[in-house]
Amino acid sequence: MITKDALWIVAEFEGTRIAPVTLQLLTKARAIANGRTVAAVLLETPAQTGEETLAQYGPDEIIVAQDEAFQNASDRTQAEQLTALIKANQPNTILFGATPEGRSLAPRVQDQLETGLTADCLDFYYEQDLLVAVKPSYGDNVMCEIVCPDRRPQMASVRPNTFAAKKATGAARIERVDATAAADSACVMQKTAVKIAATTSLSGARKIIALGRGANKDAVIEGVRKVADKLGASVGVSRPLTDRPDFTAEQQIGQSGVTVSPDLILNLGISGAVQYQVGMSSSKLVISVNRDSKAPIMVQSDYVWTGDAAALVAALQDLL
Amino acid sequence: MKIVVCIKQVPGSNRVSFDPITHNLVREGMAGRMNPFDENAIEAAVRLREQVGGEVVLLSMGPDATKETLHDGMAMGADSAYLLSSRAFAGSDTLATGYILAQAIRKIGAIDLILFGRQAVDADTGQVGPIVATELDLPQATFAEKIQPLDAQHVVVNRDLGAVTQTVQLTLPAVITVRAEANQPRYESPVAIQQSLTKPLTTWTDQDLTLDASRIGQAGSPTIVRKVYAPEPTTRAAKPLPQDPKEAAKALLDILQAQGLL
Ligand SMILES: Cc1cc2nc3c(=O)[nH]c(=O)nc-3n(C[C@H](O)[C@H](O)[C@H](O)COP(=O)(O)OP(=O)(O)OC[C@H]3O[C@@H](n4cnc5c(N)ncnc54)[C@H](O)[C@@H]3O)c2cc1C
Ligand SMILES: Nc1ncnc2c1ncn2[C@@H]1O[C@H](COP(=O)(O)O)[C@@H](O)[C@H]1O
Repeated sequence: MITKDALWIVAEFEGTRIAPVTLQLLTKARAIANGRTVAAVLLETPAQTGEETLAQYGPDEIIVAQDEAFQNASDRTQAEQLTALIKANQPNTILFGATPEGRSLAPRVQDQLETGLTADCLDFYYEQDLLVAVKPSYGDNVMCEIVCPDRRPQMASVRPNTFAAKKATGAARIERVDATAAADSACVMQKTAVKIAATTSLSGARKIIALGRGANKDAVIEGVRKVADKLGASVGVSRPLTDRPDFTAEQQIGQSGVTVSPDLILNLGISGAVQYQVGMSSSKLVISVNRDSKAPIMVQSDYVWTGDAAALVAALQDLL
Repeated sequence: MKIVVCIKQVPGSNRVSFDPITHNLVREGMAGRMNPFDENAIEAAVRLREQVGGEVVLLSMGPDATKETLHDGMAMGADSAYLLSSRAFAGSDTLATGYILAQAIRKIGAIDLILFGRQAVDADTGQVGPIVATELDLPQATFAEKIQPLDAQHVVVNRDLGAVTQTVQLTLPAVITVRAEANQPRYESPVAIQQSLTKPLTTWTDQDLTLDASRIGQAGSPTIVRKVYAPEPTTRAAKPLPQDPKEAAKALLDILQAQGLL
């Protein structure tokens, strides 16, 4: 039996594995559920077995619809399948990752249910039965609290890497359901390609060295790459450095780039504009180097060094 | 090909501040402008028309001042525009907005393609496009970076979904939301601006559309913004490392070592 009035996380694949944001949402959902059943909902093909990964992050239930039809299924097909499951089982709350995929499906589901959906949240919590979704607006310059008081389910999409995923024990009950949605002849997939190897992507990195305009010199960047190699860190950048041919938008941290929450971020020559800050503020240990001791990044850091980024990078290279 | 492009007027600047006494939001640069992603949607539409013929119709819901943005869009090459403006629309969230736009698109009629910007830069939701697609039961390709016409019934769209890219073939009519990477919007030439002033701009109120009163404005909007505030800057200890670079580097590595990060 699928539990009614539950908190659902719509699981997403990234390539062949479950997307990190799904696991992050499971961990956060468990923390705020306060007795409410947490369920992961998974649409997959028979070749995929996402439920094994999901189970390690402690949902009470995993609702699985397995069907060949989900191979290259259109947004419409997936949304219709989710809507049918929701209508039949009446969850209280549904969360999606605010990935391009989640942001494409969630509003279709929302419209079919005629309920509220808050996009791209940075935080969420319950007040009794009411989900309070906290989202930035105006380019992250303001924060809003948005609620959906009168209709259910209440829905939100949540920005990836805002929460850390933690494995959890406990046996998830697996509920298998039949796929009912028809294939969409009006939207035919011709080709799909995985763009970045998910494991090397910045968003999942545990250690990051981030370069800003104050570290925009070939010699410094070369030195940083060596230090990063030694430390097992990934290299990220602030927006100005994406103008360089050797960095792309995929390496940009911040509001219009990726959000990261590594164990360590070392900021070199970054001023700490609000649009950068929101992309890294949940990092565990923040160390920043800037020649201006009053740069805004400094008070956002656990440790600071005031001086030339090039000198510190050179010293690190010598020691490693 | 008859293409509708939905465009939104957004505040001229995202620089907002809070009145220290009233705690209300103060927007600088009050004059509105076109949502930047919508410029990409118009550019994509105009290029499709240049390739296969047809017409480009702009559609926007908003106050009277939105006419300026619609004229800008016609100066970029769109042929005509509709403004949906009524007190009854005030307070519409994305669900109500999507419903009203969908009803207007039904009334315009005989549409092959409906284009949207990837998202509006004020609230950053990107929900209105998929909502309109669902209202009209149409297929969609969101986050499009390339749109190629195939024949009278089909377009091929490259979607960039971050971790993956997809090429999908859509049967028309269909909905597409357009990324900034799709094109470089053209500048409005003085001649184009002059011409835009003579292009037809029609205003419809709630009376002109077939609308369920419970689905528009505040009544049709399930979400409520109950609080708006400035994000609190996180502050941390900012402990200084030793001034000498060599000692600083050593201290840094010691910290990493102590925290199990080496
Ligand atoms: C809508 C919008 C979205 C945005 N999205 C993003 C985003 O996602 N990510 C992002 O990063 N930005 C984003 N920005 C831009 C952001 O506002 C800042 O302009 C940007 O982050 C600044 O980058 P920076 O800190 O590298 O450069 P700067 O602000 O120029 O700072 C350079 C810093 O380096 C220091 N410095 C200079 N020389 C040295 C040296 N030799 N050694 C040590 N320190 C030195 C300086 O003191 C200064 O603090 C966005 C802006 C807007 C309007
Ligand atoms: N009021 C509106 N009138 C016309 N189009 C709109 C309106 N609001 C949003 N849109 C369209 O929907 C897209 C996504 O907006 P949003 O869902 O608000 O982020 C925009 O880029 C526009 O193409």
